[in-house]
Amino acid sequence: MPGVSSGGGGGGVGTAVSSPPRPFRPSRYVPVSAATTFLVGSTSLFFCFTCPWLSDSVSSVVPIYIAVIFIFTLANFCMATFMDPGIFPRAEEDEDKEDDFRAPLYKTVEIKAIQVRMKWCSTCRFYRPPRCSHCSVCDNCVEDFDHHCPWVNNCIGRRNYRYFFLFLLSLTTHIIDVFSFGLVYVLNHRQQLDTPHAAVTMAVMCVAGLFFVPVAGLTGFHIVLVARGRTTNEQVTGKFRGGVNPFNKGCLKNISHILCRAQAPRYTGRPYMHQKMEVQPPFLRPCLTEAQLEAKILDNGIQNDQHSTRSKSSLDQMESQSADAEAPPPPKPDLRYSGLPPADTEESSLLTEAPPTPSMFKYRPPYSSPGRNHSALSHSNKMIRGESLDSPCPSILKSSRQPSYRSEPSSLDGVTLVGGGVGVRRGGGERGEGSGGPGGAAGGVLGGVSGHSLAGRSYTSYPSSLVLSAAGSRSSSLRSAQIAHNPLATLQSEGTTDTSYKSLANQTPRNGSLSYDSLLTPSESPEFESAAHELSPQKPPGPFPSSAKAGQPKVVSPSSPLKGYTSPFLSAQIAQQREGQLLQGSATFSSPHRAYLRAVSPPPPTSPRPPEAQHLIQYGQDLSSRALRNTSSLSSSPGARLLEPPISPPPRGLSLSKSTAYTGETGSQYKLRPTGGGTMVVGGEVGGGHHAPQSTFRPVLANHTISKPAGGVKKVTGVGGTTYEISV
Amino acid sequence: MAETHSLQDFQRPAVSSKVFIQRDYSSGTICKFQTKFPSELESRLDKQQFEETIQTLNNLYAEAEKLGGSSYLEGCLACLTAYTVFLCMETHYEKVLKKIDRYIKDQNEKIYAPRGLLLTDPIERGLRVVEITIFEDRNIGSGR
Repeated sequence: MPGVSSGGGGGGVGTAVSSPPRPFRPSRYVPVSAATTFLVGSTSLFFCFTCPWLSDSVSSVVPIYIAVIFIFTLANFCMATFMDPGIFPRAEEDEDKEDDFRAPLYKTVEIKAIQVRMKWCSTCRFYRPPRCSHCSVCDNCVEDFDHHCPWVNNCIGRRNYRYFFLFLLSLTTHIIDVFSFGLVYVLNHRQQLDTPHAAVTMAVMCVAGLFFVPVAGLTGFHIVLVARGRTTNEQVTGKFRGGVNPFNKGCLKNISHILCRAQAPRYTGRPYMHQKMEVQPPFLRPCLTEAQLEAKILDNGIQNDQHSTRSKSSLDQMESQSADAEAPPPPKPDLRYSGLPPADTEESSLLTEAPPTPSMFKYRPPYSSPGRNHSALSHSNKMIRGESLDSPCPSILKSSRQPSYRSEPSSLDGVTLVGGGVGVRRGGGERGEGSGGPGGAAGGVLGGVSGHSLAGRSYTSYPSSLVLSAAGSRSSSLRSAQIAHNPLATLQSEGTTDTSYKSLANQTPRNGSLSYDSLLTPSESPEFESAAHELSPQKPPGPFPSSAKAGQPKVVSPSSPLKGYTSPFLSAQIAQQREGQLLQGSATFSSPHRAYLRAVSPPPPTSPRPPEAQHLIQYGQDLSSRALRNTSSLSSSPGARLLEPPISPPPRGLSLSKSTAYTGETGSQYKLRPTGGGTMVVGGEVGGGHHAPQSTFRPVLANHTISKPAGGVKKVTGVGGTTYEISV
Repeated sequence: MAETHSLQDFQRPAVSSKVFIQRDYSSGTICKFQTKFPSELESRLDKQQFEETIQTLNNLYAEAEKLGGSSYLEGCLACLTAYTVFLCMETHYEKVLKKIDRYIKDQNEKIYAPRGLLLTDPIERGLRVVEITIFEDRNIGSGR
């Protein structure tokens, strides 16, 4: 029964996703049962007691006429009750990847030169088409939603509005008929009012009279609505009160649109015919040079980024004015980019155009093949929902994604791609978690995605990946939080360069900070992380949040996987301990990475900078360098070498790392460094951990290349108010 | 979970990505899809072919929704028979949807599948989007 099943999910064999089965609520059926009882019962009584006399005395046509009207009323009542009103099936996972957490809540379309807003339905996972609304009773989005009628226990929408309207008309007519002919009977039996026939007739008349007022009122209301071309929902919410209704075609056309339009098809419960289509490579391709392809990839990133930027800003204002009482909107990202560093690459220039809110960006997680990775992806999607960043270069992500990554553990799916890429790409700064650095967290992640897939090949997509990384911190942070749950041991399982990046990304979410060292030397990441652990116990004095220091009062053995924070600051700390070794080329570094890092890294270290700090800067970009500085200022360990005067108080970084670490929920996965070089945990940990385990870090650090911090530093506000300084 | 895969399944290329062609609401709520050529398909498909496909689909949907004699007669007949005619007869819209289904299959066979693409009937998505699945071209060696 469509009336019931509209709430109970799409019936039939269709593959279209419908609403999940709803709990049985008997109270929903009281009005419809009452309506049915009154209608059928009263009319039956009328036929039994009044009609025989009417057919004899007045005419035999009368009962026939009343029967016809009654059957028409009943048919329309049944159609309005049982017909699917036009329920939209839930959007599939791969469709809503395009509209992620960072997507705007509203999309505006122009219908006949009038701006109409399409709201994002978080339940159904798509932007509601115009005139569509989500019924909370049925838990479905209904096309041309009119209202939910309790008397038929069904939504009234595009498909069944006609029947509902005709039901109202015919019911009004029927009530009038029953009342009139009952009155005729009573007036002709004034002396026999005590007979059962008369009594029943009078009772039926009372019921009819009682229902006449509301039914006629509703009928008149809907006649006006049909003439105006509005739905009840639009009328009640006052959508076109002061303005022009773009759906108004004129009175006659509106009426014919309602009554004469072809019966719309149902979307749910359709018989699914599996497409047996042979799709086998090699595929035909239009003629296109490689350069054109790459140019297009870059182009896409820029265009998409701008589009999402534009739409979001205009929609933000409108969102507050929404009168729709639908499912809660997707969580608005609260990350704010302020003062993005000036672009020194084309990606950076794109970033500077981005609006302050990360929500302007649309994070596009890489599409993974259905089935196997769907759970992972959906999970990651959910994780990121609140804060995914728009990837300006979805094509890059998709193109750069490799099949091997899809076979990664589900939890790693989106994250690994993102994080790994970030780590790889961004060297020091990006851990895939919203690093505050030039890559940004999610941006870094996104960059990571494309990055790591492309890392082995070339850096042609570098700019786009940078763009992505810059934009996508939020989503990446969520993803990285997801990654956090992956054991760090996965790092060790990664043999190839590419996979090692994913594992690197996996590490990051666990802690507030990403360990640049591990990113830089994927093969050595386990060592590095253990080194980070070792360092972490040593915390610099100061108001560092306990998160960084928590549980690390002692040196962790090198072999232990990274459990706590692996912060760039920590690595920076280590770096400064190992000045000589740091300068050594990283043997384990894949050359593309190093080249990438170099490309990203700022100019060679300035003279005042001790060499040990330089390599840290390389990975951690400015953040790590900040950490170094902070460490130097804060660390009380004898081994710590203060490279420079502290840039910013480490505690901020620590708190940031704390908040950002591990969380998809917070969405502020800016694991990377807060301003002042005290990259979150790094700051704290560096201070804490720069003692004993230094020796263990040596081999790890030695492999890292050192990059000089750039001369300029840009402050970026991350989640939780932490500010990052990004060296430019 | 154990699944039986046919040889065909194993040989089937993996899905690289999906492109969604959104509805064009500029003329109201009639079913019409945007003919703008998505950038993701630039390396796979000619613009003209794509536009032709979408335009044909739009025309078919316009035919389905047309307020004409056939739909009016259908409505009257349904009223007269207390809608029992719906049990035996197919509505005009459904007939056109079958036509659209045949057209999409035909397009897939002739144009899209040889290029590693697959059109999905928009009715499966509630007539909201036309979904084009892009398959990975293994011969080139990179997922695109």
